[in-house]
Amino acid sequence: MSDQRLLFRKEGRAIYISHLDLMRTFQRAFLRAGISIRHVGKFNPHPFISVAVPLSLGFSSQCELLDFGLEGGCTLEEVPARLNPALPEGLTILGAYEASRPTKEIGKLIWRLELLYDSGVPQGAEEQLTALFSRPALVMQKKSKKAKSGFTTVDLIPLMGAYRMERSEEALTLTIALAGQNPGLNPTLLGEAIGQECPGLKPDFLRACRVDILDQSGERFEGAQRDALTAGLAGTE
Amino acid sequence: MNPKLERILPRVQKPARYTGGEYHAVVKDKAQVNLRFAFCFPDTYEIGMSNLGMRILYGIMNEMEGVWCERVFAPWIDMEEEMRKADIPLYGLESGDPITHFDFVGFSLGYEMAYTNLLNMLDLAHIPVLAAERGEEFPIVVAGGTCAFNGEPLADFVDIFSLGEGEEVTVEMLELYRKGRALGWSKQEYLRQAAQIPGLYVPSLYDVTYHEDGTVASITPREGAPAQVTKRIVQNLDKAYYPTRTIIPSTEIVHDRVMLEVFRGCIRGCRFCQAGYTYRPVRTKSVETLVEQGIRSAQDSGYEEITLSSLSTSDYRPLNDLCDGLLDYCEPRSISLNLPSLRADNFSMELMERIQRVRKSGLTFAPEAGTQRLRDAINKDVTEEDVLNTARKAFSGGYSTVKLYFMLGLPTETDEDVLGIADLAYKVYQTWREVTPNRSRGVKITVSTSFFVPKPHTPFQWEQQISMEEYQRRVKLLREHMRNRSIVYNWHDADMSYMEAVLARGDRRLGKVIYDAWKKGAHFDSWDECYDYDRWMETFRDCGIDPDFYTSRPRARDELLPWAMISDGVREDFLWKEREACYRSVVSPNCRKQCTGCGANCLLEKGRKCDE
Repeated sequence: MSDQRLLFRKEGRAIYISHLDLMRTFQRAFLRAGISIRHVGKFNPHPFISVAVPLSLGFSSQCELLDFGLEGGCTLEEVPARLNPALPEGLTILGAYEASRPTKEIGKLIWRLELLYDSGVPQGAEEQLTALFSRPALVMQKKSKKAKSGFTTVDLIPLMGAYRMERSEEALTLTIALAGQNPGLNPTLLGEAIGQECPGLKPDFLRACRVDILDQSGERFEGAQRDALTAGLAGTE
Repeated sequence: MNPKLERILPRVQKPARYTGGEYHAVVKDKAQVNLRFAFCFPDTYEIGMSNLGMRILYGIMNEMEGVWCERVFAPWIDMEEEMRKADIPLYGLESGDPITHFDFVGFSLGYEMAYTNLLNMLDLAHIPVLAAERGEEFPIVVAGGTCAFNGEPLADFVDIFSLGEGEEVTVEMLELYRKGRALGWSKQEYLRQAAQIPGLYVPSLYDVTYHEDGTVASITPREGAPAQVTKRIVQNLDKAYYPTRTIIPSTEIVHDRVMLEVFRGCIRGCRFCQAGYTYRPVRTKSVETLVEQGIRSAQDSGYEEITLSSLSTSDYRPLNDLCDGLLDYCEPRSISLNLPSLRADNFSMELMERIQRVRKSGLTFAPEAGTQRLRDAINKDVTEEDVLNTARKAFSGGYSTVKLYFMLGLPTETDEDVLGIADLAYKVYQTWREVTPNRSRGVKITVSTSFFVPKPHTPFQWEQQISMEEYQRRVKLLREHMRNRSIVYNWHDADMSYMEAVLARGDRRLGKVIYDAWKKGAHFDSWDECYDYDRWMETFRDCGIDPDFYTSRPRARDELLPWAMISDGVREDFLWKEREACYRSVVSPNCRKQCTGCGANCLLEKGRKCDE
């Protein structure tokens, strides 16, 4: 069971920081902030930092979780105020708390996907998507490092949960639960599926933002803790 | 973020290079800014962000009221293609604004092979590359760095060259610009006035004529420009600005660590080394300053590694005290200390042991030449004894990798000197066999040779570069004599060093070649995947210019060199004397043993001395 957990946002220019670079950035930020954290490894000791369900490059998130072990320098409550000034633009710590359950219990993630259409959202997009998502199966090819062919197939339907749609002039916003891990469903693959199955609906660009985290039974993962941290924060969606 | 940019970033490699927003990147309120400077580095983000000079000038300019200096790097080829397709002009990383109408665009020029990137970046910024075609609405283009000591090949493109250290002259240049703006000066008037600031060379104010044989006949300054422009230096490094609070990239760069500059200049006087002459005189920082700056830099960056940087760090007199002071801070925090550029003759194993307690990386030495005769000729004050003694200490201490760097094609080099490299490498191997505590672990000795490029402002500025065929013959000869499996031999390709040699001692007529080669697609010429030798040769043919004129032609003592209007403080007759000494294989003492009277001390204020 891990120790302490940070809830943070990754947005704006920071969405292009890769997972590996993000870990490095946090290691350095802890040092800059004068916060000492637990090290692991006997021969090559390095600070322990673990970010749950790595976010793809180019996607933003309002609910990233980072596990670490606080050893000193400040109290857990002080961590956000100390760490925020030490972070690059676009990374914002919303709060720090004692982790109550392991991140491997994370089930689906709620995404807000903006399907952008430069010449306007096509007529009947909602109906077509509803039909697509109601299919008994939606099998896609996916790149795989393990498979000999370099490809493997995956059925998207069991990896998708509840969704709703909103239309504006140039964007169809789809809020949808997608499996987070083992296996996870990357919004890019969903976007490709839409483009492949409904060619008229192929978006010109897909903007994706993680907005919430569920556990395997569909309840919000550590919802109470996260709500308590964000309740007092202005501008939090 | 620019919506066009948002569309292309997911498609390019390492997009974090193109976004800005790093820790300590300076973002200013545009309403409070009246002078905008685009600091351009003509290579990738990872390389440019590793450049200390850029960090210093970035800090200095952004400390000026109303000035906003932003960074710009050359987009890698995939990004360039996307930017051109989406019609996104080159922008400053801090604001995301196109730099097309900034007040200044400044380039840091560290190596000649980046010249085409300068043109390409101006073009990407929608700024006319030719100075003559840039109207009042376009920025002043300024360039500094080592290449500014012979900027003649870029005279068609650059408005001002800044010579030497930019800490003070950059501020003066910007203040003059503000004055000129208040007085309504034209760009031409501003350039005329700027030429009066010591250290600023305005190439358009000099007329160059040529003899029939292609050599320079005359260099004539116009409109009050000085006959010779002398570089600027910082007098007191302890008081000079140092970027302890500097940008920490969110993605990995080449030198991803604290760089602590311990001194400037070099006492050694290796005759091939341009930096060794152009960075004179030697000026050092005190231990107190360095320890304080080192600690503050580490605290502010979160880096866990500090590198002591200079041209020859083991020549820093109080090196032990400095390491003690830094280790007191570093050790308890597991911050490692690095000492690159050590010399075999005064290398202290005890010191190495102390600073590298955690990890034993390899050792690197640069004997540069294979025999004592040639090392004497180039004034590389290192003996075989030194190298082998150091290797002995290192191997018995458990090191098992050694890198040895050499040059081929040095003046006076014979086959005997070439074979001396193989010989020295083999002796290092034998030393390992004698002293290693564990023979079964094996040893790796890497020998690398580069192709010597004669540089301006060195004693070898009059020398010819050997032909590529001859270089290749010497490489082959050496290869055939490297017969041990533990010795790995790497050599540089000849054709890039050949181009470097053309540009390094080029004159203004090369501007056309650079322009045409860039038009044909030349950029990132220092990258193997982009460099195209045949394209360059074709361009030379089309322009009717013989590149061998610049490489394989020996210059006479009385030839007017294209960079004659530039002075780094070292007298030309001193350089010639050093060249003569090379041909007699006579060494000159290092600056600490005895002053050889190069002249650079005249740059120091009254009361200051070299190496103090």
